[in-house]
Amino acid sequence: MNDRRNQLGMALFLIAEAVFFLLLILAFIYFRGPAPQGLGLPISFLYTGLLLASTFSMWRAAARGAAWKLWVAITIGLGAVFLLGQGSGYVRLFLDGVAIRQSLFDTTFFTLAGVHALHVLVGLIALAIIPITAIRTMALYWYFFACLWLVIVLVAYAGSVV
Amino acid sequence: MNSWLCAIDHKRIGILYMLSALLFMLAGGLEAMVMRVQLAAPNLKLIGPETYDQIFTMHGTTMIFLVAMPVLTGFGVYLTPLMIGANEMALPRLGAISFWLQFFGGVLLYFSFATGNAPAAGWFSYAPLSEKAFSPGPGLDYWALALLMIAGSSIGSAINLIVTIATERAPGMTMRLVPMFAWMTLVTSIMIVFALPALVASLVMLLSDRLLHARFFDAAQGGAPLLWQHYFWIFGHPEVYILVLPAFGMISEIIPVFSRKPIFGYPFVATSTVAIAFLSYGVWVHHMFAVALGRNFLAVFAAASMLIAVPTGMKIFSWIATMWGGSIRFTTAMLFAIAFLLEFTVGGLSGVAFATVPVDWQVTDTYFVVAHIHYVLVGGTVFALLAGVHYWFPKFSGHLLDEKLGRWSFWLIVLGFNTTFFVQHFLGLLGMRRRVYTYPDIPWFGALNLISTIGAGILVFGIFIFLCNIGMSLLFGAKAEEDPWNAWTLEWAATSPPALKNFAQPPEVRSRRPLWDRKHPEAPDWLALGRDA
Repeated sequence: MNDRRNQLGMALFLIAEAVFFLLLILAFIYFRGPAPQGLGLPISFLYTGLLLASTFSMWRAAARGAAWKLWVAITIGLGAVFLLGQGSGYVRLFLDGVAIRQSLFDTTFFTLAGVHALHVLVGLIALAIIPITAIRTMALYWYFFACLWLVIVLVAYAGSVV
Repeated sequence: MNSWLCAIDHKRIGILYMLSALLFMLAGGLEAMVMRVQLAAPNLKLIGPETYDQIFTMHGTTMIFLVAMPVLTGFGVYLTPLMIGANEMALPRLGAISFWLQFFGGVLLYFSFATGNAPAAGWFSYAPLSEKAFSPGPGLDYWALALLMIAGSSIGSAINLIVTIATERAPGMTMRLVPMFAWMTLVTSIMIVFALPALVASLVMLLSDRLLHARFFDAAQGGAPLLWQHYFWIFGHPEVYILVLPAFGMISEIIPVFSRKPIFGYPFVATSTVAIAFLSYGVWVHHMFAVALGRNFLAVFAAASMLIAVPTGMKIFSWIATMWGGSIRFTTAMLFAIAFLLEFTVGGLSGVAFATVPVDWQVTDTYFVVAHIHYVLVGGTVFALLAGVHYWFPKFSGHLLDEKLGRWSFWLIVLGFNTTFFVQHFLGLLGMRRRVYTYPDIPWFGALNLISTIGAGILVFGIFIFLCNIGMSLLFGAKAEEDPWNAWTLEWAATSPPALKNFAQPPEVRSRRPLWDRKHPEAPDWLALGRDA
């Protein structure tokens, strides 16, 4: 019963998040600014793959088997690699003079990426401290933000190619 | 004290919401009176234009985000579990954090006065005025951060209410038997989940612009100030219904009890609410008719806006038909409910006028807008709230309110409210601009504004009597029984005030009026009217 309440609550929260990100993505599409050199989309695809792979370990953890802690640790590891990898790429760009104030692409893309990264970070902290009873609810959160990142990368990639 | 600060019981949290709203209502009311005094005569210069801008911005923001939303949430959180026969909210700790986010959001907003630079771009803070270049002080940052907290709080409490109604209903209470107030709370909460994120997105973009020098709304750098208008009103128009649907719910509980008849057309009242919720997402551009968006574009939104009058009208007719042939008891609560029907209809009619594009062009940004919004939010929401307070106060406190003082406050509030705002329709038609701190001595302007200011004084006096009534009742009021109105919904089956555990045994529900069934075992609703009753 508790699981049902919590999962319904989380699902509603994710609906709110979906509306929020939809509007930020629409702003990105609306402005369609040219992408800066060196955004490094191929390497982004690698990190995106790692984040998507973490949904598998999350799913295994949510099965609440004997090794659930191990699967949670793998999920946290993959998520951390994603954050550090993306982050270091952005830091390199920032040092090259690419900043949120630089162009409309930077404004919309980095706001989107930054807000998404914040959610992944919160997810990592939550995964590190939650008890096994909350793991299924947390899994919903994790699936959502992993898939959302795929959408963001596809939109950004399509936007900068077309 | 500690038991209140750490409360997770839905009744305590509900009361905290109401007290917090009352505190901020005093601040917002004071701001309103400062404006009315400043506008009492032409060319008055009691306060300067900068101060006036801050005052009207804080008044609007306060009344919508720190008064109307929290007090409605408070009623929802207090009453919903009781009405559906539950002992607690589904997610009690989420309820507590939602309240405290709301309260400290309000405190943060008011802290901006201490910087000497309160926000001054109006309650919808249009870009580019709200951009750093035009509002360089910290006021707008306080505004945006405070609203972020409050939006988070609203989403949290809305999720909590939806989960509660979905999972905690008493055995036998199907969705077709849920009391109308809980129905409206459910629809409102779903709207919050879909609408408030648009506000959050707008605020994140605004803060990025202001603090990180992003370019979202900076036209000189290729940004689009219009994007703010679209996103804000995608939140802002559903917000209007978020503020009025719970009020509809209260009216739908009060009118039947004091007419001694079940509500007329329960399925229609419920489904028309859902229709309003859907339509309210397709009308936001009627706040932007003065922007040159293209004729066909405007026509679509004008038609959609007028369409909303249909489900709203259905409700009005349902309430009138409920009273028709009933044995009406004119308690103070019922008087406020009836006044609500009239005042809200005036606001609804000026709303339909606004949906007509040329009319909107003529009176946009004039006092006609001010009159309209106050007829909807005061004549609608506040009158329903006053009806609700008079109806449920015995349940909240265990004391009855004084009917004589209630009548005094009712007539003073009706007189004061209409005197204040009805003349503003004329001021708007005569061309008086809103949000300007003073006005020249043009024929009628001085006289009508003076009438409006006098009306505001009467309104404040009426509210004062109402607050006295509450204070006197808490100190010396007669004890309330558990069911002083001979009502039908489950909150009246609990003691007044309810114990920590609302119901000793889970109540049995077989119809829309479970308490009627309990009092009339010889003729229960479920026997007389079949399954759907």
